Amino acid sequence: MIELVQVSKSFNAGKANQFTAVREVSLAIAPGRVTVLKGPSGSGKTTLLTLIGCMARPTSGRIVLRGIAPASFAGPDGTGEIEITSLPERFLTGIRRTTFGFIFQQFNLVRGITVLENVMLPAYPTGEAHGSVRRRAMELLELFNVGRHASAPVDRLSGGEAQRVAIARALINDPAIVIADEPTAHLDTGLSREFMEIAGSFKAAGKTILIASHDPIVFDSPLADAVVEMRDGRVTRGGSAP
Amino acid sequence: MNRTIERHRHIIDFALSSLLRRKGKNLSLLAVYVLIVFMIGSVMFFIQALKREAALILQGAPDMVVQRLVAGRQDLIPVGYGDKIGAIRGVSGVRPRLWGYYYDPAVGANYTLMAADGDRQAPGTAVIGSGVAATRRLAQGDFLTLRDYSGEPVLLEVAGIMPYASDLVAADLIVMAESDLRALFNLPGGSATDLAVAVRNPRELATIAAKIARQFPDTRPILKSEILRTYDSIFDWRGGMVVVLLAVAVLSFVIFAWDKATGLSAEERKEIGILKSIGWETGDVLLLKFWEGTVISLSAFLAGVILAYGHLFFFSAPLFEHALKGWAVIYPRFRLTPAIDAYQLAVLFVLTVVPYTVATIIPSWQAATVDPDAAMRS
Repeated sequence: MIELVQVSKSFNAGKANQFTAVREVSLAIAPGRVTVLKGPSGSGKTTLLTLIGCMARPTSGRIVLRGIAPASFAGPDGTGEIEITSLPERFLTGIRRTTFGFIFQQFNLVRGITVLENVMLPAYPTGEAHGSVRRRAMELLELFNVGRHASAPVDRLSGGEAQRVAIARALINDPAIVIADEPTAHLDTGLSREFMEIAGSFKAAGKTILIASHDPIVFDSPLADAVVEMRDGRVTRGGSAP
Repeated sequence: MNRTIERHRHIIDFALSSLLRRKGKNLSLLAVYVLIVFMIGSVMFFIQALKREAALILQGAPDMVVQRLVAGRQDLIPVGYGDKIGAIRGVSGVRPRLWGYYYDPAVGANYTLMAADGDRQAPGTAVIGSGVAATRRLAQGDFLTLRDYSGEPVLLEVAGIMPYASDLVAADLIVMAESDLRALFNLPGGSATDLAVAVRNPRELATIAAKIARQFPDTRPILKSEILRTYDSIFDWRGGMVVVLLAVAVLSFVIFAWDKATGLSAEERKEIGILKSIGWETGDVLLLKFWEGTVISLSAFLAGVILAYGHLFFFSAPLFEHALKGWAVIYPRFRLTPAIDAYQLAVLFVLTVVPYTVATIIPSWQAATVDPDAAMRS
């Protein structure tokens, strides 16, 4: 369970150009389900994803992971509960690396290196043996049908292939939560449906999926267990408070 | 432990592939870097080798040289002074030396003329340095023409040419019989240019020098250590001038490195954002940049040192000889004996690697501390 309590995020605090992207959001996200954040551009979806994914800290409010993060990060009380908003950067990075897999709107693959290297990148700082990371990366590439491109530079991939590589990269550390930001923005209808099928396979594997999108193929999909509508940084419909 | 090694291995792998991805930028940086290390290294090794060479040669120099001064300038010294100096307790021998300089207007060069000890050189013959032979295009058996004090030509048969190995001190040397030298310069008999004094106990040198100065107030005793110091100063001064010029080059290099490093391209910044967003810590990014910098700086350092070594000790420093060996028509041509120690290498390392490391790590650190959500917004 991911719990958000009165979470707000402001940028350029105290300056003339201060703006608040997320306002007092309280939300409970069930584990093992697909939750879609729906809303127009500027509604605060991406900012909320970055806060949940430990990429940024909220200006106020609390975010709690319950029974999701690895035991090594869980609190000493044995409840398996971590309040990520109060953790130092080092721990936050550790949780981000082991608990979350990110799929970005622009794919964000590192240009000039091979597909295989891109997939292995998130595992480099873990110090896991090269052979086992490589083996897992190849398995993922085969799973998403891009294994034949393993040694090719990512620059040569089509949009659909690049996204499948980005998905493989998101899964390399076997995260419990997969976060996707506008994953179908650069895909045609066929590839968008294919992405949702892949999301369905994550769900079947017991992962929690969190998608920000304003694409009907995503939020109208039967796979979406919960759709949370946002506007102007607030939740306007759907979702339940913790 | 294994995980730490693996982590470094992964990051080094990625650092190498990152360097290869930006071939153009990194190769140009490497080329400039190698050039700087090569130049600074060449100067440092050259000065060190010259000093060592000079020190080795001066090992055979007399313990003390006594000159006579007239009106504050060096003048001929009566050989009779030598007999009295030889009688001072502690002096083991006194040898009068006869030498002088000769300006050759035909080629614009200065020669050092020296009388051979005793009768080791037959009258009418001379042994010449290789510089003189090259300038005058002389071979053994040819005749060397000089003009005496009255302008009359003097012919000396070249009996031999000194080997290149002695070039540092002998390139411009002409050794002839004492009688020929006296006739050439019209030097009166019973006089010498200076006196070479040998002393039994080197600790007594200063005391003996003081005694000589007291006994002969018109003389100036010069100790071997003072000659060595002068040589050191000359080489340091010449080297120092080049070092000043090189400091400008180093500064340019630092600015270049700083510019390259601070000018992290938008793509590099984006890449750092991506790495952070997929779980890399600031420390991991810094480690990556550290390894990238280490590969560049160590490669440049090694290549620069090897090139400098080859330039000096295999090719006799063709790029620097005019500035460092002296300004003259006759340049010594000799092969330096390699004289590099750990201290010099350490100084060179500090002069070249540290500025680069500072210039690259700080901006990378600035870029690495950005919030990872920047990647989400790109």
